[in-house]
Amino acid sequence: MRTLRAFVVITVLVSAATACRARDRATPAGGTAPVRGGELVVSVRTDPQSFNWFTKRDGTTQLVTYLTQARAVRVNRVTQETEPWLAEGWTRSEDGRRYTLTLRPGIAFADGQPFTSADVVFSADAAYDEASVIADGVMVGGKRLQMTAADPRTVVITFPEPFGPGLRILDNLPIMPKHRLEPTLRAGAFGRAWGVGAPVDEVTGLGPFVLAEYVPGQRIVFTRNPRYFRKDANGVQLPYLDRVVVQIVSDQDAEVLRLQAGQVDMSGAEIRPEDYAPLRRAADAGRVQLLDLGVTYDPDSLWFNLKPGAFGGDPRAAWLQRDELRQAISLAVDRKAFVDTVFLGAAVPVWGPVTSSNKKWYSADLPHPPYDPARARQLLASIGLTDRNGDGVLEDAHGAPARFTLLTQKGITSLERGAAVIRDDLKKVGLVVDVVPLEGNTVVKSFLVDQQYDAVYFRVGTTETDPASNADYWLSSGGSHVWNLAQKTPATPWERRIDEMMARQIAALDDGERKRLFDEVQKVFAEHLPVINFAAARIYVATSTRVTNLTPTLLRPMLLWSPDTIAVKH
Amino acid sequence: MRANSRTVGIAIVSVAAAIVFAAPALAPRPIDARFPGALNAPPTVPHVRDDDGAWHAPFIYPWTLANRLEQRYEQDRSVRVPLAWFENGHVVQSSDETRAPLLWLGTDTYGRDVFSRLVFGARVSLGLALAAALGSMIIGALVGGVAGYAGGITDDVLMRLTDFVMVLPGMYVALALRAVLPLVLPAEVVFALLAVIFAVVGAPFIARGVRAIVRSERTLDYAVAAEALGASPARLLIRHLLPSTRGFMAVEITLLVPAFIVAEATLSYVGLGFPDPTASWGTMLRDASNIRAFADFPWLLSPAVAMFVVVLGLNLAVQNQRAHGTIL
Amino acid sequence: MIAYVVRRALVAVLLVFAVSSASLVLTRLAPGDFVTESLGTHASREAMERMRERYGLNKSIAQQYRDWLAAAVRLDFGYSLQYDRPVRELIPERAANTAILAVTALGLATVIGLPLGVLSGSRRSGALAALVRAASVVLLSMPPLLTSLFLVFVAARTGWFPIGGMSSAAVTGGGALLDLVHHLVVPAAAVGLPLAAMLERLQAQATTDVIGEPFVLATLARGVPYSRVVWRDALKPALRPVASVYGLIVGTLLSGSFAVEVITAWPGLGKLMLDALRARDVFLVAGCAGTGAIFLAFGTLFSDLILGLVDPRARE
Repeated sequence: MRTLRAFVVITVLVSAATACRARDRATPAGGTAPVRGGELVVSVRTDPQSFNWFTKRDGTTQLVTYLTQARAVRVNRVTQETEPWLAEGWTRSEDGRRYTLTLRPGIAFADGQPFTSADVVFSADAAYDEASVIADGVMVGGKRLQMTAADPRTVVITFPEPFGPGLRILDNLPIMPKHRLEPTLRAGAFGRAWGVGAPVDEVTGLGPFVLAEYVPGQRIVFTRNPRYFRKDANGVQLPYLDRVVVQIVSDQDAEVLRLQAGQVDMSGAEIRPEDYAPLRRAADAGRVQLLDLGVTYDPDSLWFNLKPGAFGGDPRAAWLQRDELRQAISLAVDRKAFVDTVFLGAAVPVWGPVTSSNKKWYSADLPHPPYDPARARQLLASIGLTDRNGDGVLEDAHGAPARFTLLTQKGITSLERGAAVIRDDLKKVGLVVDVVPLEGNTVVKSFLVDQQYDAVYFRVGTTETDPASNADYWLSSGGSHVWNLAQKTPATPWERRIDEMMARQIAALDDGERKRLFDEVQKVFAEHLPVINFAAARIYVATSTRVTNLTPTLLRPMLLWSPDTIAVKH
Repeated sequence: MRANSRTVGIAIVSVAAAIVFAAPALAPRPIDARFPGALNAPPTVPHVRDDDGAWHAPFIYPWTLANRLEQRYEQDRSVRVPLAWFENGHVVQSSDETRAPLLWLGTDTYGRDVFSRLVFGARVSLGLALAAALGSMIIGALVGGVAGYAGGITDDVLMRLTDFVMVLPGMYVALALRAVLPLVLPAEVVFALLAVIFAVVGAPFIARGVRAIVRSERTLDYAVAAEALGASPARLLIRHLLPSTRGFMAVEITLLVPAFIVAEATLSYVGLGFPDPTASWGTMLRDASNIRAFADFPWLLSPAVAMFVVVLGLNLAVQNQRAHGTIL
Repeated sequence: MIAYVVRRALVAVLLVFAVSSASLVLTRLAPGDFVTESLGTHASREAMERMRERYGLNKSIAQQYRDWLAAAVRLDFGYSLQYDRPVRELIPERAANTAILAVTALGLATVIGLPLGVLSGSRRSGALAALVRAASVVLLSMPPLLTSLFLVFVAARTGWFPIGGMSSAAVTGGGALLDLVHHLVVPAAAVGLPLAAMLERLQAQATTDVIGEPFVLATLARGVPYSRVVWRDALKPALRPVASVYGLIVGTLLSGSFAVEVITAWPGLGKLMLDALRARDVFLVAGCAGTGAIFLAFGTLFSDLILGLVDPRARE
């Protein structure tokens, strides 16, 4: 038929066009020591919502902050230890509540203004301002830190109570220029300061780069900060790069295409499992570098609504909130097959919220019960769920089927696949699961605000490896204690135990003691399983072959947390 | 010649209808059957000759996983798995469904059979799209016809109303609806809801076109004559004026059907779609909208081909034939 | 005539307010709000309440609407919650980008679609008509997401065109226009080709209809060559259906196509609108919907005016 022939003609023409391959970029030979100069192109998913990290927490604003601002004390993501940054050293008082920081001499902001302790104190004030959203990250037990400038090079920080992590907290506080922002802070307009509409020369900082240009929807350009305070081991002035161009590419497929074509050097985040194969091929052809960063710090999480009375008169309340149900579910899911199906093998099975990548806090002594559906059925029978009519589905004492709804986030392949696997595995032990994929905002609202749901399958992100910094998750009064948020008093005895141990863990100053306490917390957690974790994905990032001297870590931004030491080959 | 293309169109539509009707028999397995070890596996092509040249009853070679992360498969040519015909209510299946399934169009990213989902998805997607298109046409013809016929204030009011419906982004309404509806909706409810939403959303374009045509046709001799003879407005509209919009409607179907199929996937993204594991062409295409589908897994794009064939058939079948056929 | 235009303009203003109001209310009704979206699980309850108060999200829907309306009549459409910039500044920026794309795509579509439609509708050559019809149906049945992805994929493989974006970083002055055109090709094709297909189908059908009318037969009988009849006498009435939707198309194009803008990284209005919805950025959502309404009202007015030009029978 003519139309069919026409169709074939069109297909042939198009295939011929796509057969022409892109030119292969020859990788230049590079020396071993990083060389100064060159440009780096990074791609991010969204526009920045602000240039002021204190008011907006999106990923691009975070990247802008890493490029243009510096901290007094930095947490080295690779070693997980604190290191002097703008401060060159510090002493700690006996009771551990007072730290005296000595700042480096002769440092100036990018616009020339000298840096003093007054800027550090000002930054803390700004962090506690009404308009700031980072206040929680710089508070201990809900109380502020007291900062005083003893002299232009000395800052005294007083903690309201003993705090184990100590100065790690300062990693959350970029140092802002007092001379630029104080007027707006005093006027109560800090919330609008340094918005994306601000002229670029207004934004200044102590970081390795300076904001040079912002074209909305397209790109942000940064140039070297000639006054940056750091030098490398050979005395070479950092940063190595002359320019950083941040391109805004919202589609992940387009980003992968650009990486393969060499138009982008790196992305701000990890690659998806489905992009692994084409990038592996590109890496084998010498066009990209593929880096395996290890297992993520955040495994997936399945939890039930454990708020007392959440199910009202619903007869399912008798079994939906029981520990045995969750223990049974943990036994009923084959984690090895889960890893293969959901992450294509690029993950490891986990049994708790802390993964082996978190070397300092991971507890290897926790039980790892193997896949055991028979035992799962026993546990379910012990809370009254058995198959009373032989239809393959468990029923409770009244004959109502054991059925619940599982909310998950639409658009995240690993979550949707994971939910499907969980549904199928639980069907085999007789539990019926209705998977409802919803838009992210809707899911978050269901468990955070309404607290009206049966169960949720989600990925709760952590930003720090130290559990004291994630207190909101562990403490029953915390806002991230997802299965039963913000309790006034702990609803269960085991949550009370965790609360007590975490309180001691946060306040203790001895690392060994803190580890022991947290191991105990993880043990209680594994017994009662308020959250069931199945697998933790491996994290891969891809960069062009020009980039050298990388310090990859698992927390975002994986490569750009240390932008001053990244170099490119010429 | 012209009758030929129309016949072709009708033939295509009939075949599609037959496939939709016979879905349970044609599809080798139900839509939610998953093969965890065969994600994005290629189609299994039936052979009749093996590597030595001997002839056999139709058989397939099973797929073995070569690399899980890259999702690469290799044919195991040492094993011949013959096909099983007319068993278990299916026209054809593999004789070893668990380890060497018959995959006419391979599997998708969850390991589900694409062909089965395509065939069952046709019911959902085509059913919804056609029902909604019909609804749009009825509403649009009514509104546009009345506006074009009556003119004046009625015309103005009706057209501004259609403007409002046209410009209000459907997504906003869908999201707000999501908030007030219960979380788990049965498939029939979703079908009815989507059909109504699409019918309302698609009507304005038809209304405008119909109105323009009716307004000018109305001044033609045959319409004036019918009016003079005492035809009521309704009769005038339905018997004389609306039929002249037939050509326009034919094109509109061609535009609306694919648009509705795609829109179902978009709405499903905000949670207003069919419950899992219902298959629909829209969601299948959305899941296949990535470069890996183009580069490595082209069978995932089969709903696009299916959509093209069906829409072509509709276009050919519904088109307006020229009144004077023998001039050229 | 003037009275007609003025009347339509007034109704347009009313329409804009109606749509913006509806959008604002609908976004407030949608599950979640800006605070849950931006802070999510990373903040305490107090921080979230503080943020809500700062942005005025703890007000009732009625209260917020009243405040917004009072400011809107003074042409102050509020601040975007995401970017802390006035909506009044944010939208024209993006709308301009979308307009560039829209005009180019429309031009492309008209130049390709209309003549092809006349050709295939007059059925001079059977093979050509079949080919054109097949191509049109292919373009119409492909989802816009897929079309854009395919074109970007082709651009990446061949290396002839940039893989998305609107401009390159280091180009200034005279080269900028050429750079823009270079970046325009893929997005304009992604929007323009399906549009060309739609115009072609509409035009083909209309041409076929007109050629079947008695006056064409009469003209041919007088000895006028067929191609003259097709391109001169039958053209004006055949343009009627396309004219009736042309303005509408302009209006829809100016609102932006989300799929194309996302895949080709074109910083336009369509993407702004949907991102605003996703983030529950209520004032930006209302602003975008209102802008869309303006474009559409203008589009339908334009459409009706063209229709009046092309078809005297339809004039008021």
